[in-house]
Amino acid sequence: MNALDILLALSALMPPAALLFGRWRGYAWLAGMVLTGQIILLAGCDLPLAAGMNLEIFGRSVGWRLDAFGRFFALITLGVALASTVYMGGEWGERHAAGGHSPRWLHGALAGNVLAMLLLLSSQDLIAFFIGWELTSWAGFLLMAQGGEKALRAALRYVPYAMSGAMAVLGGLALTLAWTGTLDLAALTGIMPTLDNTKLALLLALFGMGFSIKMGLLPFHLWQAPAYAEAAGAGTAFLGAISARMGLFALALLLVKLMTLTRVADLAFIEGLFTARDLLAWVAALTIVLPTFTALKQNDARYLLAWHGIGQGGYMLLGIVIGDATGSAGGLLHVFNYATYQAALVLAVFAVMHRTGTADLNSLGGLVTRMPLTFLVMLLGIIGLAGLPPMNGFVSKWLVYRSLMLDGRPLLFLMTVIGTLGTILSVYKLIHNTFLGQLRAEHEQIREAPWSMTLPMLALVILAFVTGAAPGLALSWVAEAQAALGLPVLAYTLGGIESPRGNLDMLWIVGVLFAGFGIGALLFYGAGGRSKRVHQLDNYAGGHFLSADVRYHYSDHFYAGLMHRIGPFYRSSFTRLESAVAAATDLAASLMQVWYRQTVPALTLLVAAVLGLSWMIWK
Amino acid sequence: MSHSLLALVVALPLLAAFLPPLLPGAIRRLLGPLALLLVAALGVYLWRITLIEPVSLALGDFRPPLGVVFYVDSVAALFVLAVALVTLLLWPWRGDTSENLDRKQSLTLVLAAACGGLAVSGDLFNVYVFYELAAVAGYGLAAGGGTAAARVATFRYLILGSLGSLLALLGITLIYFRAGTLNLAHLADLAPQTLHDPFGLAAFFLILLGLGVKAELFLVNTWAPEIYATAEARVSALLAGLVSKLALLVLARLLVLVFPLPEARGALLILGMLGMLTGEFAAFRARDIKRMLAWSSIGQLGAAFIAFSIPGSLGLAAGLAIALHHLLVKPALFLLAERWGGGLARLAGAARRSPFGAALFALFALSLIGVPPLPGFWAKYLLLSGLAAQPDNLYLLAGLVVLVTTVVEAVYLFRVIGMLHGRDAAHSEKPQNMALDMTLPASTLAGSGAFAALLLAVALAAPWLTAPLARMALQMNDSAAYVARVLPATATSEATK
Repeated sequence: MNALDILLALSALMPPAALLFGRWRGYAWLAGMVLTGQIILLAGCDLPLAAGMNLEIFGRSVGWRLDAFGRFFALITLGVALASTVYMGGEWGERHAAGGHSPRWLHGALAGNVLAMLLLLSSQDLIAFFIGWELTSWAGFLLMAQGGEKALRAALRYVPYAMSGAMAVLGGLALTLAWTGTLDLAALTGIMPTLDNTKLALLLALFGMGFSIKMGLLPFHLWQAPAYAEAAGAGTAFLGAISARMGLFALALLLVKLMTLTRVADLAFIEGLFTARDLLAWVAALTIVLPTFTALKQNDARYLLAWHGIGQGGYMLLGIVIGDATGSAGGLLHVFNYATYQAALVLAVFAVMHRTGTADLNSLGGLVTRMPLTFLVMLLGIIGLAGLPPMNGFVSKWLVYRSLMLDGRPLLFLMTVIGTLGTILSVYKLIHNTFLGQLRAEHEQIREAPWSMTLPMLALVILAFVTGAAPGLALSWVAEAQAALGLPVLAYTLGGIESPRGNLDMLWIVGVLFAGFGIGALLFYGAGGRSKRVHQLDNYAGGHFLSADVRYHYSDHFYAGLMHRIGPFYRSSFTRLESAVAAATDLAASLMQVWYRQTVPALTLLVAAVLGLSWMIWK
Repeated sequence: MSHSLLALVVALPLLAAFLPPLLPGAIRRLLGPLALLLVAALGVYLWRITLIEPVSLALGDFRPPLGVVFYVDSVAALFVLAVALVTLLLWPWRGDTSENLDRKQSLTLVLAAACGGLAVSGDLFNVYVFYELAAVAGYGLAAGGGTAAARVATFRYLILGSLGSLLALLGITLIYFRAGTLNLAHLADLAPQTLHDPFGLAAFFLILLGLGVKAELFLVNTWAPEIYATAEARVSALLAGLVSKLALLVLARLLVLVFPLPEARGALLILGMLGMLTGEFAAFRARDIKRMLAWSSIGQLGAAFIAFSIPGSLGLAAGLAIALHHLLVKPALFLLAERWGGGLARLAGAARRSPFGAALFALFALSLIGVPPLPGFWAKYLLLSGLAAQPDNLYLLAGLVVLVTTVVEAVYLFRVIGMLHGRDAAHSEKPQNMALDMTLPASTLAGSGAFAALLLAVALAAPWLTAPLARMALQMNDSAAYVARVLPATATSEATK
């Protein structure tokens, strides 16, 4: 048994263990320890590793083999699962169970997701890949459905999307087998690029559609925000942070390793002007912009974050489609960075929900003094999400921006900047409406969230900060993944990147930033440090005192002016597209039922017999 | 010849069907299951020996092409086993009255005998006889629900079925008229000279329509939703699970042995596609679970027809996998639907009352839509890889149909799963007993649990089952071996020619 066997075996044990012992308080700690062990094991092993288990089905071998590219995603998966499990194990989990939900199924679904993803990430051939793909979808469905009635409905909305994706992938698999004679991923890397353009385009369309759906790329993104937002807290964090990235993993595998980006660029819609690769880049860019501005419109903190999750996926894909060392490193690094702060942010929002009972951004405010640690987590988290220093989100976005500029794609660069602008506006709304301003009277007795919740949150943002100040820590995994995928490898240092066209040294930037804070503090306290504390329920504004009975905290209809400008653009064309497909299916279904409602089927039989005979005879 | 055991496949159930009136009560109730157990054991034995080499039996030692011929290859043996096992799992243990129970049990045994006969028959005349026997038993069982709706549905089914039988008989007559024999081996030998023309194809088409009634072939499947919605769940399970598969098997054999022609395949392919489209889409709008299952079964059989239309043993393997998978899944679903009939809305919250039942439903649904590593996935994989390998674009179109309808299938099955787990009926104003009604009885759970255990066993053993499946498909595809086994003389004379 090698490390991969142990890893998979442990993950395979956990779902049944969760279903048996999930109600037991200590289970979360046990699962946490197993996950920690798995992370250590995975981080320390030499790759690539082939699993001992190898099946032979219909003359094709089905096996699992993990390389550095898969490990990169696997480590993130395990890390996020660890944070979610610890979070679930404490007071939050008890409250969840008291609400009539099953802790066993929640733990079981999470463990099932981890297993499914590890199987997917280490698949050696397309059958193993499809098994992992489907298991990931259905384990994801199970996790989405754990949050009650609304969650179930959102999860059911995911089913047609997931299934369409799965069937597109399966169709691609069948055609791949027919055209290349193999399903082995290593063998396909040599063969797939040699297929002619028509076949390659069809495969790209099928696989691409399947993978895009999971990733929530436009126009297949509608399912994701509700499905992720409505799930049970720790489940939302896991889903939001890593689940959709399985789509990115698969897309990167397809575009870079199997088809190669140069072949994808051969598939031209307009010769020399617009290729399939450009299309992918633009889809990624639009996925950044549109969902980000949809996030801006949300009034539920969970939905706001979930919509950002869709948007952030665009940066990752964009970096990979550009495909140079800098851009692809940025795209991959963003997967890790995003997972750290998104999980922290979601957990923070659920910590607020745990205490106040709501995630409605119009009914919160002023919680900063009541939940300072959660505030700190959210502050650092949104700095990361907005892509500002000193957090790690800045590094990965910077790499993507830079590669777009170097690659000579100013319009795409503009799109990413617009996306980032929207993100900044939107996350400010998030923290302002939750933590800043006037406290609500009903929230006066609120306490900080318990340690079981703050600990994983803090650990995640500390990680996001450390890998922001010293991105080299994470970039070592990224560089390995790049090499395993066949991408040019980024030359990195502990503080960032070193390149003849300009370095990035985060250690230096963070140092300057903190020096600035230090100088500011010196000036403030040097000047006497005078400040006056006012109770949060009462306040002073515009020359007179306001008391608790007067609401002045500005949260409702946030960004009214901006919304006035951009409001007309929200025309929900995608929602209409979705309903049109649903309506067409329904119509087709009614028409088909007409056939089965005929009154004299015997007559039809006779007519069919006569027609069939004539066809057979006169043909 | 030691293979005279073969006759027991038909004889045992028939004996058990007609003997009970002469026996005292206690033995009489056990006779049927006992006979089926014996047939099952025989099926296992036959499967093991036929995997190596098929066997045949000329009843009464009349040499073919004169006498009645039974031919058992591994496919037939497996179907013999399946018939016995499924009938046993769906055995009617209870009835309203003793007389009613007697009738049900006898008819079930006749059905089992006829199905066994269809699996092993080596000539078209016997096929027709057993087919009629199965049909009559089927009508009796379907009407046995006792409700007026069941009788009306059965009457309509009877008309359609009889007309179908008539068409099939006409087709068989045409074949006899042209070839002068009904022995399948003989026909396989003579077909290239006598039947591979429009005339022969017309005969095939008539038989296809006729036997297609039972196989839920598109064009002649309109009876299915009504029957399955009104008959007892066990009867629906038998008809949808078992009888349809045997009709399918006979058609597949006919296709391989006598009509391996592109036109015949084309007819199967197109009708299969239409069956899939109409069935799955109609199920999408079904308002009650039994009709939904009926339409879904039409769709699944459409997939099997598509699979059998793929030339070569790859297509046969896919078709067998789909048929056997459906044989495991659909009866179990019909069992679950027994209590869960009526409008879909009534299912709200039923998972809380029958969590095990809901879990079983989810398992079967997942396998039906082909989620790996459940067996349904492997069947679908075989089908799609077979379709993708064909040069003809019509097969690619069929692949697209399979993919699209699978999405539709997933949506409606998961709608039910969502319903089961949704808000409890306690929130509505329904009286308590209405809600209690949704709790599944232990017998239902046991029956459908047994199917689930089989399904899971197949899923776990999948890597070891692929070789036998491939072997079965090869055997079924080898018409030369069929001819040589049944007609040794002809084969040698061919060889000397």
